[in-house]
Amino acid sequence: MRIMGRRKKIVQECEKLMDRPEQIRNIAIAAHVDHGKTTLTDNLLAGAGMIGQESAGEQLAMDTEEDEQERGITIDAANVSMTHEYEEKNHLINLIDTPGHVDFGGDVTRAMRAVDGALVVVDAVEGAMPQTETVLRQALREGVKPALFINKVDRLISELQEGPEEMQQRLQKVIRDVNELIRGMTEEMDDIDDWTVSIQEGTVGMGSALYKWGISFPSMQRTGMDFGDIIDMERADKRQELHERTPLSDVVLDMVCEHFPNPIDAQPRRIPRVWRGDADSEVAEQMQLVDDDGEVVLMVTDIGVDPHAGEIAAGRVFSGTIEKGQELYVSGTAGRNRVQSVGIYMGGEREEVDRVPAGNIAAVTGLKDAIAGSTVSSIEMTPFESIEHISEPVITKSVEAKNMDDLPKLIETLRQVSKEDPTIRIEINEDTGEHLISGQGELHLEVITQRIERNQGIPVTTGEPIVVYREAPTQGTEQVEGISPNRHNRFYVSLEPLDQEIIDVLKKGEATMDMPELERREALQEAGMDKETSQNVEHVFGSNIFIDDTKGVQQLNETMELVLEGFEEALEDGPLAAEPVEGALLRLHDARLHEDAIHRGPAQVIPAVRDAVHRSLIHGEVRLLEPIQNVRIDVPNEHMGAASGEIQGRRGRVDDMYQEGDLMVVEGIAPVDEMIGFSSDIRSATEGRASWNTENAGFRVLADNLQPDIITEIRERKGMKTELPQSIDYF
Amino acid sequence: MLTFVGLGLWDERSVTVEGRDAVRAADRVFAEFYTSKLAGTTVADLEEHHDVDVEVRAREGVERDPGPVLDAAESGDAVFLTAGDTMIATTHVDLRLRAHERGIETSIVHGTTAAAAAASLTGLQNYRFGKATTLPFPYAHGGDDVPASVLETVDANRERGLHTLCFLDIKVGHERAETDEHMTASTAASLLTEAGRGDDLGAVVARAGSPDPVVVADRLTALAEREVGDPLHLLVLPGGLHHIERDALVELADAPPALADERLA
Repeated sequence: MRIMGRRKKIVQECEKLMDRPEQIRNIAIAAHVDHGKTTLTDNLLAGAGMIGQESAGEQLAMDTEEDEQERGITIDAANVSMTHEYEEKNHLINLIDTPGHVDFGGDVTRAMRAVDGALVVVDAVEGAMPQTETVLRQALREGVKPALFINKVDRLISELQEGPEEMQQRLQKVIRDVNELIRGMTEEMDDIDDWTVSIQEGTVGMGSALYKWGISFPSMQRTGMDFGDIIDMERADKRQELHERTPLSDVVLDMVCEHFPNPIDAQPRRIPRVWRGDADSEVAEQMQLVDDDGEVVLMVTDIGVDPHAGEIAAGRVFSGTIEKGQELYVSGTAGRNRVQSVGIYMGGEREEVDRVPAGNIAAVTGLKDAIAGSTVSSIEMTPFESIEHISEPVITKSVEAKNMDDLPKLIETLRQVSKEDPTIRIEINEDTGEHLISGQGELHLEVITQRIERNQGIPVTTGEPIVVYREAPTQGTEQVEGISPNRHNRFYVSLEPLDQEIIDVLKKGEATMDMPELERREALQEAGMDKETSQNVEHVFGSNIFIDDTKGVQQLNETMELVLEGFEEALEDGPLAAEPVEGALLRLHDARLHEDAIHRGPAQVIPAVRDAVHRSLIHGEVRLLEPIQNVRIDVPNEHMGAASGEIQGRRGRVDDMYQEGDLMVVEGIAPVDEMIGFSSDIRSATEGRASWNTENAGFRVLADNLQPDIITEIRERKGMKTELPQSIDYF
Repeated sequence: MLTFVGLGLWDERSVTVEGRDAVRAADRVFAEFYTSKLAGTTVADLEEHHDVDVEVRAREGVERDPGPVLDAAESGDAVFLTAGDTMIATTHVDLRLRAHERGIETSIVHGTTAAAAAASLTGLQNYRFGKATTLPFPYAHGGDDVPASVLETVDANRERGLHTLCFLDIKVGHERAETDEHMTASTAASLLTEAGRGDDLGAVVARAGSPDPVVVADRLTALAEREVGDPLHLLVLPGGLHHIERDALVELADAPPALADERLA
């Protein structure tokens, strides 16, 4: 009851602060898995009076989904707001939680776009880990300012029995490593000066989220407690006193208020970085100025489901004031959605308020067309750049309802799942009832299917996981002719494999057909495309480009839609195994068309172009690519051989082995196909002593001697003729 | 030997005597009706009339897989039938060339075609027609309106005072159409009206070749509202009118005299 009363007061306080953007901080906490982010979050909530002090460290308030608590990892981004008094002013701190598991990287980028500051949490014992680098990169790319919190310092003192000297060296190394990453990543960003962190400036905090104490340069000055005092008290097991005298939440929240930019400071710099629309437009100015009287612009970061209120879209309000009853556009869909309610977050709960002005994180119901990543606005506008998918789906599973009666509910749930997590792709097949669900890895899909079974109570059967392949050309070709079935239309096409740099630009959505032509040209030229080619880009599809080099071909204009349809069809289903094609630049040199529209209709043009594209891919010696993963295994010395054997035995490669603390680290890469079942294999190979981590690392050409078998396997599975077209004779 | 026989415009009796003889003498009889059809009869009646089996081939079976037709023509006498003429609007010259590639002799038996009917039923003079064009269903050409090239053809002809013969789309077994669809003249007139040509003069010919063809001329806005009965229809967009053409449209096609006068050259 006492907590409820306090809670109500906090909500009222938040409502007051919502209108003072200078006193708002929108932040995220980003960390490698198990470095203590969730515990830290609970500390902050407890410090702000949102949950009881006693339970911080155990409560894991943000792990609202049951399976997350069981797994001990945080999976979905959730949102909380809290208040904190700093320098006699109250501050509203909106915290977006980000998942720590590699498999769900899409969520992190989305969360980053909504915040202005990122607290990077690093384990003092383990130091900066691969995923620390990943999340830091995601933050910096979105123009989010970092600060560092070094967690688990208690372990240095109590477990490793380190003295002040050793400890200092270790902490300095963590800071150096993180700064090296920051420097490297921001080097070429003109809008960012020096974002490295330092103890003296107060952008580094240290402490123990478990025992709820913390320390920083400013806190030492304020409390008069230095490292010596802390070591003494920690050793003497006076942790409660330590917590009371220098509480972690004060250290961190002071740092947040002091060093993270408020929306007024952040948005003028960040809008040009995260929004690709016309910089001179009125809405651009309103967003930069955090104008609460401006047009409403909300960027949705997350869709959650409330059993009573239904779908809840959470996101950052960049301009305007969002209120109940507004009719708002949702990017990528026609028509408008009516806002049913607006609110802010408190712990796992949502508090309805009357209005949420620019600069805040809002929770909105009624936006039925919104998905994570949507731009919701009161005028039609350029959406925020398409959320960069660093990780494409690499694995697919079929899902079927055990009971026919559950079929409609399953379809609805699957659609919901793909709305909440855009890194999940769903293919609904109402005829067979066998739906396909694609994601970032075996665990990712496992979590999703468990959620369907447990939360929705739908028993399902799932098929064997199927790896998603790609097809890519390996060399350029001469012109290839594509002829329509009636032979009256001909298309002359050549192919060039795209450079990796251009492929990356396309995959990240940095050159799309939605953006202004000039910007697209520049992005492509910067990635190495020659000027003339970049001017003739007619279409981008996946990471493939279509160039129209024709000059003055009569009636090609009105046939182009069909040409592009043929181009897309050909690339959706490549010639080897009907897997998606990537990295192809197709150049249309010339076309001969029938005089009359009826003789160059879809039945003629689409097959002609598809044929030309497929044949040019075959001439370009198209190969199957397979997805690969970076694998890192932490394992005691005596199991190192077994662990590296698990990588090598999977067509993998061990790149590095080194000691870290008392563990050995094995790093390498392995194909996703071979990683299926890794979880249980590594457990039995190392008597359960290994902890491991994978991260998708893109696609790699499959060895030539494996190509025919895998191609045949896929073709069989898809019910295609197993023999390849005769012209594929290069395996 | 491969003989292309045009069946003419209406029913099993529209074929020429020469064509009839060729059909009856053939070892195998092939036909396609995806480009046009004989509106006044059925395949069964056609077979009965000539006492032959007619093997109807879909588009795939002509364009992608013409092998069986050519095989039959190589080993015996085959005829290939279409409505109208086999080489005018339907353009089966490709099949003829493929036959020649295989050393198969070919010949042509002409049929009456829509182009002939358009001139003869409306009284518009054959000498004064420009390029013909086809008006496709919006769903079938990848756009949602009248393709620019169609309008360009009409305009270019008009500029030179020439009439435009406008064939109307036929879709057989199209995935987007529930049944086989033959574009009606009123649909065509409304599509052109939407494209801003509503004030233009048009002449509709319905069921050419039948005992009771309908011929009407009026503004396209008016034609869009007018039902002229069963298919097939075609549309002529007159350019300038010679005085005899003007009189013919008024007398034979019920054109409003004032409207026809506007077009007098």
